[in-house]
Amino acid sequence: MGYNRPLLRRFPCHPRCNALSVCLAMAILSGPAAALAGQGPSSGPAPSQQHDMGQPAGAAQDYPTLHIAGFGDVDYSQTKQPEGPRGFSLGQFVLHMTSELSPRVTFFGELSFTARSDAGTGTPPAAGFNAEIERMILRFDESDRLKISFGRYHTPINWWNTAFHHGQWLQTTITRPEMIQFGGKFLPVHFVGALVEGAAPAGGWNVNYQAGFGNGRGQVISRAGDAGDNNGFRATLLNFFSKPDRFFGLQFGGSFYFDKITLPDTRDFAERIVAGHVVWQKEDPELIAEVAAVRHQQVDTALVTWSHAYYIQAAYRLPQFDRLWKPYYRFEHIGVNPMDPVFTTVPNLNDGSTLGIRFDASQFVALKGEFRTWRRASSQPRNYGGFFQVCFTF
Amino acid sequence: MMGPVLRRAVVRWLIAGAGACLLLARAGGPARAQAAPDVAVVVHPDVPVDNLTFAELRRVLLGDREFWSSGVRVTLLIRAPVARERDVVVKGVCEMTEAQFRQHWIAKVFRNETPTGPKIVYSNEMAIDQVMRTPGAITFIEATNVTKGMKVLKIDGLVPGQAGYKVK
Repeated sequence: MGYNRPLLRRFPCHPRCNALSVCLAMAILSGPAAALAGQGPSSGPAPSQQHDMGQPAGAAQDYPTLHIAGFGDVDYSQTKQPEGPRGFSLGQFVLHMTSELSPRVTFFGELSFTARSDAGTGTPPAAGFNAEIERMILRFDESDRLKISFGRYHTPINWWNTAFHHGQWLQTTITRPEMIQFGGKFLPVHFVGALVEGAAPAGGWNVNYQAGFGNGRGQVISRAGDAGDNNGFRATLLNFFSKPDRFFGLQFGGSFYFDKITLPDTRDFAERIVAGHVVWQKEDPELIAEVAAVRHQQVDTALVTWSHAYYIQAAYRLPQFDRLWKPYYRFEHIGVNPMDPVFTTVPNLNDGSTLGIRFDASQFVALKGEFRTWRRASSQPRNYGGFFQVCFTF
Repeated sequence: MMGPVLRRAVVRWLIAGAGACLLLARAGGPARAQAAPDVAVVVHPDVPVDNLTFAELRRVLLGDREFWSSGVRVTLLIRAPVARERDVVVKGVCEMTEAQFRQHWIAKVFRNETPTGPKIVYSNEMAIDQVMRTPGAITFIEATNVTKGMKVLKIDGLVPGQAGYKVK
């Protein structure tokens, strides 16, 4: 593992630069520039050190600062029954920007570019890629116990959703669990509003909390109310988790989410979500288990439905071969109540199994290969397929 | 077959080689047996803390604790990879490999839990200079490099050199 391996680098630059042009310029120029930088004398910081470590000490702190980094992936899939992309596909191209505006105020942005399957169709023709502001957060840090922020978040009621976001390289597997799939409807992936969060030592239990207030799901329930809520009821969420000192690597917690959903046909539904997670974050082994239950009640009626989902994932970084290989397995299930009018388009997942291996080809590049088998309903035939991904951070 | 002259030469070479090996082993023995010095946790003089538990130190190193009790933000100064001080804190305190430590901090920034990762220092002199100049700074240097005027934290009530001191 060479620390001076020339890799793409994080670029600090002046914030007054047009952000988009900086992103594009970075995407085009960063490779060769970083390679050249990495060939210089070793007196300065190696590019790979800059990626995760911010600026070298001694550099004058001048506000605002801006750092850009990103993630990308290329995928290949082949399934028995057609479902999802086939052959090669470009994964998401993700850029994230962090900027300190003052010692206590920071800005964070995350942009994604996703290939569209309907590119070139329609009038006017659809673009080849869909650009999306995934996260845009302005945060004030009063202390470890109190941080207040505003913006668009990944809803913190699911551990995976806020642990890996759009960084495919960060996660062990190729895809997210289906219960929290991007564009999925089972859980609200995004949340627009305000968040209060913090942590307290609590006698070594290290209790963290997050309390949110904002727009819930939009009329299309996979989307947040970015341009405003579609009803007069704001969503609220509460998330608690603990990372006890005594069992370093363990995290467990639970979440509650309350909202009112207004469907395009104007029917209103009260939504309650209860979720929990247990995670052992060390890699020998890595264990992740999450469960969520969603309750919908049509307003002014007695119709109540519950749907649930869970997954359990285990991985182990092999101590041999320079610790570069990491086999894994995940089982998942989504049980959608067929009587639920809100989830009529949410697919069931009777059982899904993923068996794969990750190979860390370099410090910032990973290759993953997976075999998946799943059945949507017990009455339907089983589907299976092979998947491959090369993912990286830069 | 080997002639007597050649046989004597081979025996001499073997004896000389064995002797050299013995000498090298003796020379290397005491050096190997000598324990590596403890690593001192040094902070800016204004940091209002004298003692951290080992778990608190780990939380600081992993960015889970970002502020001192005075409200000043923690500035983490860590030696560049390959330095022994870095190995001690990454492997000994954080219980991680270098790759895991990097991924932890990339993920930490990506999750928007902290605006920046640790700052890199390239020598003990640079670490000492920066920790004295940066409010809220904390760094790690070999205890033999500690000089007068530096604020060294106790870890679990112990200073470097005391039996049971864990940052080594």
